[in-house]
Amino acid sequence: MQPNFSLVFFTTLAGMSQGLLFYIAIFKSQFNLLSNSFLTNLALPVSFGLLIASLLASFFHLGHPERAWRAAHMWRTSWLSREVIVLPLFITTVMLAWYFSAQDKSFLIIWLAIVILAFLLWICTAQIYQCIKFIQEWAHPLTFINFLVLGLTSGWLLFGSLIWLWSDAIEDAYVKIIPAIGIVLLFIALTIKLTIWKRNRGLKPKSNLNSAIGIPNTRIRQTSMGLMGGSFNTREFFHNQTNLVLDNLRKIILFGVYLFPILILVYALQSSTFSAVFIALIVHLIGLMCERWMFFAEANHPQNLYYQRIS
Amino acid sequence: MKTNKQLALVIDLNVCVGCHACVTSCKEWNTQGSAGPLTDLHAYGENPTGTFFNRVQTYETGSFPNTETIHFPKSCLHCEDPPCVPVCPTGASYKRAEDGIVLVDYDKCIGCKYCSWACPYGARELDEERQVMTKCTLCVDRIYSETLPISERKPACVLACPTNARLFGDVHDPESEASKAIAERGGYALMPEWETIPANHYLPRSITEIIAAVKDEN
Repeated sequence: MQPNFSLVFFTTLAGMSQGLLFYIAIFKSQFNLLSNSFLTNLALPVSFGLLIASLLASFFHLGHPERAWRAAHMWRTSWLSREVIVLPLFITTVMLAWYFSAQDKSFLIIWLAIVILAFLLWICTAQIYQCIKFIQEWAHPLTFINFLVLGLTSGWLLFGSLIWLWSDAIEDAYVKIIPAIGIVLLFIALTIKLTIWKRNRGLKPKSNLNSAIGIPNTRIRQTSMGLMGGSFNTREFFHNQTNLVLDNLRKIILFGVYLFPILILVYALQSSTFSAVFIALIVHLIGLMCERWMFFAEANHPQNLYYQRIS
Repeated sequence: MKTNKQLALVIDLNVCVGCHACVTSCKEWNTQGSAGPLTDLHAYGENPTGTFFNRVQTYETGSFPNTETIHFPKSCLHCEDPPCVPVCPTGASYKRAEDGIVLVDYDKCIGCKYCSWACPYGARELDEERQVMTKCTLCVDRIYSETLPISERKPACVLACPTNARLFGDVHDPESEASKAIAERGGYALMPEWETIPANHYLPRSITEIIAAVKDEN
């Protein structure tokens, strides 16, 4: 598939915000650890801003954004439609939480709703890709697990960074706990990514030229795709990158998303340098954009069988 | 399900000569019909590109001297279980109950392209200028026309084909020309592995064997 930057930004930014809100909701409702001024002036505005940014980003992949409201219609069958319903509900709930924390109030029901809606949004986002059964790279529960764990990881690094920025919020325990949990999350996320890559390498395409045109001959090749100047089919479903670019990107993903942030957090843990969490977040985020780009590029669409040779 | 009408095309790979008459007649009719316009970009530039509902591709099989050139027309297969329809968030993509044609309501389409991702055949093309998803309509505005002569109430591609490689009819009616061709000549569906149950069928090539047998006899 041709990676689409609006979807790269949407899935990474919304995922990070969902992760952040999950931790805010847990820390506030279960441990009562976060001050309302931290929530009102920093944490909730940042989560809200990220969700709005991701919502705006998602509009850029629509041909007719002015008709986007129609997308809530087919929630019975379409995961995209369900996502279109859950996202505004989630944003509204975050606004409510923000409003009440500004009033110095905190309601368990709202924090609970935030946790549930964050998970529902992860399910919807992942299912949009996972439910297409013939894109074999996506049609597996690992798609959801990867979205979930990377959201929880980037969200945790952002959570730690916001606590560092709001120096009043720092408590001694955070200096150890935040990098330590970050390392654990990054390790889990790395294991999942390596599992996905291993699975993708071993995938045997169910469709081939024989089934695509229904001719059983073992020697078969296309001599013309029927057009010369490109079409929607050649633009939307091919990433047009060389294997060298993809291999290098995989290295950037491996180091940017996982290994460098782990090293930085180990350093943060050893030297009690809390500010390093913020550096880890920046490196992780850059890597995350590449990871999501690669998520699309790695998906092989069976329609590509029909578009192999111009003439 | 089989009791409903299911209109479809049956394409005979024995006689398709790859002339692209179906492609151009399709574009001609549909760009000015209810599905149009099918816009072209850079029509006189280096890389002209545009929207088509039908493409003719060419494949080669075998190794010398037993080679074959196969011209392969490809358009929406009007699947009986179309994966493109349930994913549409707005309901713009739908399958008609009365005749099984899969259509797009261009006024509801938001251009999210999700249906094209959900079609394993690449049958849908986003119109770059109109920014809505387009696809073969089986010339729904021809086949039910009340002003055209009855003999012309068929998809434009079927009428244009000089070798009669395209049959049109109800594949749920065992008496139709299309159903008989499928039954008698081993008509098959594309990518059966995804269980989309395409309504369009292709008639397998047997012409090379027939010619060889005739040559042997003489």
